[in-house]
Amino acid sequence: MSTVVESLKQFWYFTGFANATWQNLVMILIGILFIYIAIKKEWEPLLLVPIGFGMIVGNIPMFPGLNIGIYEDGSVLNTLYQGVKQGWYPPLIFLGIGAMTDFSALISQPRLLLIGAAAQMGIFGAYLLALALGFDPNQAGAIGIIGGADGPTAIFLSSQLAPELMGAIAVSAYSYMALVPVIQRPIMLALTTQKERLIRMPSPRQVSQKEKIIFPVVGFLLTAFIVPSGLPLLGMLFFGNLLKESGVTRRLAETARGPLIDVVTTLIGLTVGASTQADKFLSLTSIKIFGLGLTSFIIATTCGVCFVKIWNLFLKDGKKINPLIGNAGVSAVPDSARVSETVGREFDPNNHLLMHAMGPNVAGVIGSAVAAGILLGFLS
Amino acid sequence: MKRTKAFISAILLLSGISLGAQNLSDLRVSEIVAQNENGLVDEFGERNGWIEIFNTSSGTVRFGGCYLTDDPGNLKKYHVPTTDRTTNVGPRQSVVFHASGKSWQGSFHTNFKIGNGSTVYLVSNDGKTILDELKVPADLPADNAVVKVPAGIKKIDSEIRTTATPTPGSYNGDVDAKSNSEIMKEKDPHGWVLSLISVSVVFSALFVLSIIFRLVGNLSMKAGKKKEKPAKAAKGRKAKPGEMTPEIAAAISMALQQEFGGEVYAAIAMALDDYLGNGVHDMESFIITISPSAGSQWAAKTQNFRQLPR
Repeated sequence: MSTVVESLKQFWYFTGFANATWQNLVMILIGILFIYIAIKKEWEPLLLVPIGFGMIVGNIPMFPGLNIGIYEDGSVLNTLYQGVKQGWYPPLIFLGIGAMTDFSALISQPRLLLIGAAAQMGIFGAYLLALALGFDPNQAGAIGIIGGADGPTAIFLSSQLAPELMGAIAVSAYSYMALVPVIQRPIMLALTTQKERLIRMPSPRQVSQKEKIIFPVVGFLLTAFIVPSGLPLLGMLFFGNLLKESGVTRRLAETARGPLIDVVTTLIGLTVGASTQADKFLSLTSIKIFGLGLTSFIIATTCGVCFVKIWNLFLKDGKKINPLIGNAGVSAVPDSARVSETVGREFDPNNHLLMHAMGPNVAGVIGSAVAAGILLGFLS
Repeated sequence: MKRTKAFISAILLLSGISLGAQNLSDLRVSEIVAQNENGLVDEFGERNGWIEIFNTSSGTVRFGGCYLTDDPGNLKKYHVPTTDRTTNVGPRQSVVFHASGKSWQGSFHTNFKIGNGSTVYLVSNDGKTILDELKVPADLPADNAVVKVPAGIKKIDSEIRTTATPTPGSYNGDVDAKSNSEIMKEKDPHGWVLSLISVSVVFSALFVLSIIFRLVGNLSMKAGKKKEKPAKAAKGRKAKPGEMTPEIAAAISMALQQEFGGEVYAAIAMALDDYLGNGVHDMESFIITISPSAGSQWAAKTQNFRQLPR
């Protein structure tokens, strides 16, 4: 009888109930909240469902030493986590993004690239604030990249500069990307006048196939020569785009933008979520990171919109840019461009800004990869 | 087919040659102790002079087949065995050769001894190319080493020093050297310099890209106009509402290539519907059906063929 009791006791010690802490339960609740938001509100469900479920997986209380935790060398989760830790999931996602992104909107109006550059101010605004809050420069750089509104870039840079903060940075970046409509709309409305919101932009010209093929090659050569440290992201982004536009590698492009990116997104979401174990995640540092992440999004949106407003002062009528596309410079493809379209149509139902907003939107992807390369070069 | 094979073979051959050469050229003779009286003991309990080889690259280098010598007239004096699998040196790592004069003791024992005034040469596997060399000063005290210390921003260059504390098999640089982040913390505590430089670089990169594509666009449009002129003259009319112009085709193509989700597809379809005057879909409640004017050949046999990779 005593053997049975002892065995049951031992079994009890191994259960999640015996090892649970309130922090685990809080993180599990946050995970459930993520899943709820993803399903109910449809905010970035492809990311929030895996991350939310990953949070639950990572916070199942367990007896240490069973070699199943994400931070235990050689466990299944740890093996999958290497793609995040070593930084090879993000470039694969960039390959898929390149293969699915049509740069036509940008090629037809290359001036919109500058809006993508202006919106990167959020990265450096958050960097300055993070330093002021006492973070080391490498940590501040990793936190600042949240303002790039690009999850893979945030994961890549934080894995290289501050792996200890990667969980909080990744969750923060993806959370705010999901909240882009909520964060950006009030800022756009506060910074623009009725007259500005009604500006109609000329239709973008048709882009030839030749231009579409030249873009990834020239774009890659230029950006990679300026910032070689951004090579993994920029190289894969432009390579993916070349697969798409070359016209002779359709199957490769379809795999990159379909099954490949789906597999990697699932794994990156799940493992990033699972990396937010309560003992490593619930801290004042994480709260600071979330605050700085939000600030960086606000700065990025503000800079994008204000940049267009200032630029308009120097443009003739008919060439002016609707400042409602300024927010789209913060990557978050295509959500921020969709916000431009939605807000624009609130004031003029026939003014479609989506095509114009896609220009700064994809420029933001390039801009944030370049910014990540610069930070990596200076701080790694 | 023959041409393809020949091309692939040539590429492989060239890449193999260049990679091999590049890897071996990353090796350095990084440290030498000529008179070892109280220092490193080999696996046979003996003290000999020793030679350290350092791999400056970020990849593993296999150096089996290379040569070590102290005689410029005989560059093939000691041949590092090619069959020994341990003759690898990891990235930014080093290996030590004992200059015992007893090469039968193992791959890492040379068949020559060294003394003060000797110059050690590391020779490539071709037996001709000197990869690196290091001269032992004639007045170097016993148990002291001549070392190459990494120098410069990239730590690729090096300067030669002597030291009373040899570090066989270890990094010769300052192990307490500050990281880039620590240096930035000291030099730019508030982050303004880095921010200004970074913002300038991002702007410059994208500005240059925009200029290039403005030029490419202008050239492309000029070329397009030249091609279109004869066609326009023949047609001599404007596109009618509902006609599939290249602009509309491009818009549809772009819309279909984006993965925006249902509502955006619907918005784009409605916009096209407005523009084309109800020309693109049937008038059915809540159903948008794109009905092409010409047959799509969706059931044609060629559509069922699997495209082979090229």
